[in-house]
Amino acid sequence: MLPDATTIRNAAREAASQIAGRPIKDGQRLVTSGLIDSLSVLRLISLLEKKLRVSIPPETLQPEDFDDLDVIVETIERVAKSAD
Amino acid sequence: MQFNSFPYLIFLVAAVVAYWLLPERFRRPFVLVASLAFYASWGLPFVAVPLSVSILVFILGRWMAANPEKASRWVWLGASCMLALLAFFKYRDFILVNVNTLFAWMAAQPVTFAKSIALPIGISFYTFEAIGYLIDVRQGRVKPSTFMDLCLFFMFWPNVMSGPIVRARELVPQLKFRLKFEPRFAFEGIDRLVWGLVQKNAVANLLGIWVNKGFSTKAIGVPSTIDGWFLAIAFGLQIYFDFAGYSNIAIGAARLLGVTLPENFRQPYHATTPPDFWSRWHMTLSRWIRDYLFFPINAKWMGAPLPLYLSLLGVMTLVGLWHGAGWGYVLWGFMHGAYLVAYRLYESAKTAHAAIGQSRIISGLWRFLTLVAITAAWVPFRSPNLHKTSGILSSMFVRFSLGMAYSSAFYVFTAIVLLFCVVEPQVMRKLAEIEEHAGEQGPSMFRILGRPIAYICGFLLFMLFDENNTQFIYSQF
Repeated sequence: MLPDATTIRNAAREAASQIAGRPIKDGQRLVTSGLIDSLSVLRLISLLEKKLRVSIPPETLQPEDFDDLDVIVETIERVAKSAD
Repeated sequence: MQFNSFPYLIFLVAAVVAYWLLPERFRRPFVLVASLAFYASWGLPFVAVPLSVSILVFILGRWMAANPEKASRWVWLGASCMLALLAFFKYRDFILVNVNTLFAWMAAQPVTFAKSIALPIGISFYTFEAIGYLIDVRQGRVKPSTFMDLCLFFMFWPNVMSGPIVRARELVPQLKFRLKFEPRFAFEGIDRLVWGLVQKNAVANLLGIWVNKGFSTKAIGVPSTIDGWFLAIAFGLQIYFDFAGYSNIAIGAARLLGVTLPENFRQPYHATTPPDFWSRWHMTLSRWIRDYLFFPINAKWMGAPLPLYLSLLGVMTLVGLWHGAGWGYVLWGFMHGAYLVAYRLYESAKTAHAAIGQSRIISGLWRFLTLVAITAAWVPFRSPNLHKTSGILSSMFVRFSLGMAYSSAFYVFTAIVLLFCVVEPQVMRKLAEIEEHAGEQGPSMFRILGRPIAYICGFLLFMLFDENNTQFIYSQF
């Protein structure tokens, strides 16, 4: 079962901060600002899968689907919904 | 009609004035007719190419919406058709020449084909936009657009020639043309337009005179080390000012209609690493490659090292080939792929040994090496053949010799343009500060006279250097 939005957001913040090497704020752009690159997005996906115990198939996604915390929450909810 | 020609400027002024005078409901058909007219100015029969792309993509989009479970096969069909179009118009002669060379080695009969066909303008750009659109529809990012939307999307005259390569989701909503006129559209548009004209005519074209001479097959012998470096640097500056100039004119023309196109450049020669260069150079192509090629390929292996290195080399070699049907472009792309692999290897070492990443000397060294590597890669990109490439590269790195065979104006002008690139971020920041400051204090002499004077100076520079070569480098791609 998919965790609620707050849990996803917290996990996303933790994972993104770990990859970027600095704390990530709400609304802070990750990909379009150049803070993390497309390969780091793959690491981010991997971390989120472990933290949230969900499957995120990256083949159907684009790096900008992980551009900020709100977008990450939306993406994971959308992916989970389409998997149901 | 080249962007830096008087017929285009007359066309642009007339089209923009008519656009804002027309009632809103007539703007879409008007822009489509103007776009068709602009495209037809390069050759009426070629209009059939983007129109065919629009028809095919429209049909495929509808089929994908009707049968989502079969959408993948329509994406593959659409992408194959786009690549076939590119192969037919752009790579046919290149493929034939290389096949015939191979056949000659095997003592087989050469293949013959109908005579060369001119390249429809912008084909490399709108075919990529079409593939991106189909993937976006497949992934549910955009709903299938109307036929009118697609025609406007693929043929919108400000960016049809050489991009920026846009996504349907960022341009199609703007092509409803529902905005009311605001003076800032005019200011922002003319700012970009005039600066683009100056970049192209007064800098790129002027550098092009010496670059053409130096890279010509008629140039006798191997240049000295100094000349080799100056030629490579001059071409790096020429292509930057040429393509950034084109992009500014394209972005400016769209802005005059209230449309915002994505940026294509962010001071690329300030790059500190090879990946940083690709986040600053031809940004909309980098974004396309990342989203539709590099990311999906590496997603399959979750960024595992070997597939990553092979994909970097392969994708960048394809990027080289996308630029033109020639081995020089392929080599340029391969070199950039190798730079990216080298940087990834360094990043892996940095993760293992934290001290490496903290060293300022190593960061500075990467910055220097990145610039040297980018400059070296421009040599095969510009050279007419691989023999010339090896001659210039060997003079730059192996066979050291002194001597300056060009007029002093070449060295001085190249150095001035290079210096401008160094201080460009500071200049732009200062101009933005002055503009902001002038806005806070209300009307001032700067606010009233600054822009008109800058526009007049820019236009005079544009006219002064109008006699040189006017073709944009990227319009050949």
